[in-house]
Amino acid sequence: MKLALTALALATTLAVGNAWAAGRWDGADDLAVNPLPCGNEAAPAPAAMAYDGGMATNAPDKVGKPITLVDVPKLIGIGYFNATSKGIHDAAAELGNVKVTTDGPTEAKIDEQVKFIDNYLTRGVDGVLFASNDPVAIAPELRKALSRGIHVVGYDANAEPNAREWFVNQAQFNGIAKAMIDSLVKEVGADKSFGIVTSTFTTPNQARWIAEMSAYAAKCYPKLKWLETVEAQEDNILSFNQASTLINKYGDQLSGLFGMTSVATPASAEAVTQAKQCGKIAVIGLATPNAMKPYVKADCVKSVVLWNPVDLGYAATYVMRAIVDGKLKPGATSVEAGKLGKLQVINGSEVLLGAPFIYTKDNINNFDF
Amino acid sequence: MNSTQTQPAPRGRYVPPRFRLAAHESILGIILVVVLIALGFLTDRFLTVDNLLNQARLMAEVSLLALPMTYVIITGGIDLSVGSMVGLSAILLGYSWHNWGFPLGLSIVFALAVGTLAGFANGWFITRIRVPPLIMTIATMALYRGFAEGISQAHSVRGYPDWFYIVGQGDALGVPTQLWIVLVAIIVFAVVLKRTVYGRALYAMGFNEIATRFSGLSVDRIKLLAYTASGLMSGLAAFIFVSRVSTTRSDMGMGMELDAIAAVVLGGTSIFGGTGSIGGTVLGLVLIQLLKNGLALTGVKGDATIMVIGSVLILSIVITNFAQRERYADR
Repeated sequence: MKLALTALALATTLAVGNAWAAGRWDGADDLAVNPLPCGNEAAPAPAAMAYDGGMATNAPDKVGKPITLVDVPKLIGIGYFNATSKGIHDAAAELGNVKVTTDGPTEAKIDEQVKFIDNYLTRGVDGVLFASNDPVAIAPELRKALSRGIHVVGYDANAEPNAREWFVNQAQFNGIAKAMIDSLVKEVGADKSFGIVTSTFTTPNQARWIAEMSAYAAKCYPKLKWLETVEAQEDNILSFNQASTLINKYGDQLSGLFGMTSVATPASAEAVTQAKQCGKIAVIGLATPNAMKPYVKADCVKSVVLWNPVDLGYAATYVMRAIVDGKLKPGATSVEAGKLGKLQVINGSEVLLGAPFIYTKDNINNFDF
Repeated sequence: MNSTQTQPAPRGRYVPPRFRLAAHESILGIILVVVLIALGFLTDRFLTVDNLLNQARLMAEVSLLALPMTYVIITGGIDLSVGSMVGLSAILLGYSWHNWGFPLGLSIVFALAVGTLAGFANGWFITRIRVPPLIMTIATMALYRGFAEGISQAHSVRGYPDWFYIVGQGDALGVPTQLWIVLVAIIVFAVVLKRTVYGRALYAMGFNEIATRFSGLSVDRIKLLAYTASGLMSGLAAFIFVSRVSTTRSDMGMGMELDAIAAVVLGGTSIFGGTGSIGGTVLGLVLIQLLKNGLALTGVKGDATIMVIGSVLILSIVITNFAQRERYADR
């Protein structure tokens, strides 16, 4: 009798829990979206915004002097952040008076990342470069850094604006969204269905891109059907499993897979190859060229939308140096970044790297990261 | 004719359990002092009041989890679901405040209640339905995490009023606020373990549960209390965590159960039950945290630090086994 009652209680809880939990998970964040015009119309120039970043208080004057930086990416050990790290170190070597250490957690956990930053703050650095796992959770730690006179520059994934001085944005969020959706439509058509494999629903950059992608798709291709978003947490095996699950679940209905992280895209391509759906399911996403070379060569993947992560890291170091040397102040409209030339300032305190870069069969062999 | 076989005399001296543990704690204390001196020598940022207080702030959550974990492991059980209970409590703290419109104080109490209930559910199944603790808590580890992710739809809740952050990010009398909470918890748990009937019963259950049951002690109620305490502390740890990082995430607490268990085992609590102390657990917590921090300050990178922690764990257990040397013939 007791056992039966327990079983009933358990079953009810599970049913209620599941029913409550069911519902569309779209992986987008709640911030405002700003979709670009459809097709090839030129985007309107973004309105100039006031500077909204934080300020380092009483930072020591190190104009022209050597500085020590620490780079704390979301996690270490994946190709994308190896590439940004390479860019950061290349720029440091070029500048000559910058010393950088790249260190970070081996899993994309915000708690671990905060601990890493904290240890380096105690050790004493002149600046922190970061790519955050969570824009709000990392903010108290970064504000602590600013209050100690340590400069803070973000790249790849933002934090709350007043927790960092500047953020190097690889591309406009709506620009990436447009490039991704346009690539998919070019490959499969405007009335098909697609799925998304992302990292987690709270990772700042992925959430922004997904929000912009759904806004842009709704505006320009209303017939494009969005089936599901799945989480894969920057884990290779999980990404592969999730992509395979999507392929098996939707079968013929699925025409495209977006990989939102550099781990998800090769894993999705592998899942599509192993399911023998190359050519029938398009795989579009961001990834490092090396990881995608076999799939692009096999014609399974036609285009990889990305920016150059090496350039991203490179720009971040130059921005940091410019801040320390007093060349980049609030209200500036551009900054010099070595071989990248002049980079525009957008959204008040963001430095734009440039337009998204598309790797295809023709140019992917020119890159090695 | 009495041909009673007498037991062969135990080889070596018989060392009663309490002395065994005291020896382990002393050795642990010596290792801790050695580590402190060595790290303080290698970097001058390590042995500063600021740094040490900061480390105390960062390890508050795992400390709170390790205290009831000591009780649970002493009884011979284990609780692998504490990390997921932290995640569930944290999510419900934010969700009830943001989506259900609870006043924030009520949300905090609600989060504690959720943690307690989750721990109670663990304990109930383990005692009434006789599910082995390992299996039950592995199951609830997945179940509670699933609830957290399903209820939250992976949305974070942020934007709490300023007073909410005092616990996680503020100071009281110059010391991080959560440190006071942890100190009170340590004292309560230590006193209960050493000075009350309940504490003695825990040890008895760890040694021989059947004998304890037949001695008239309410074994089920004692176990239930231990697992419920585990849930309550998870709720409290969740509150401190959310206050510290100013947001709720459904992946909070992942992996914390292993940190807590490592500290408890390092502190001398036998995984088979029967021995253990809060003092040892605290030593274990401090040693692991200071090692991680000190090594990072001397420039050792993240992945190498993990290796060192593992080696220290193995080394300290080997040293204590070696130093005690007593082997009971048929134990």
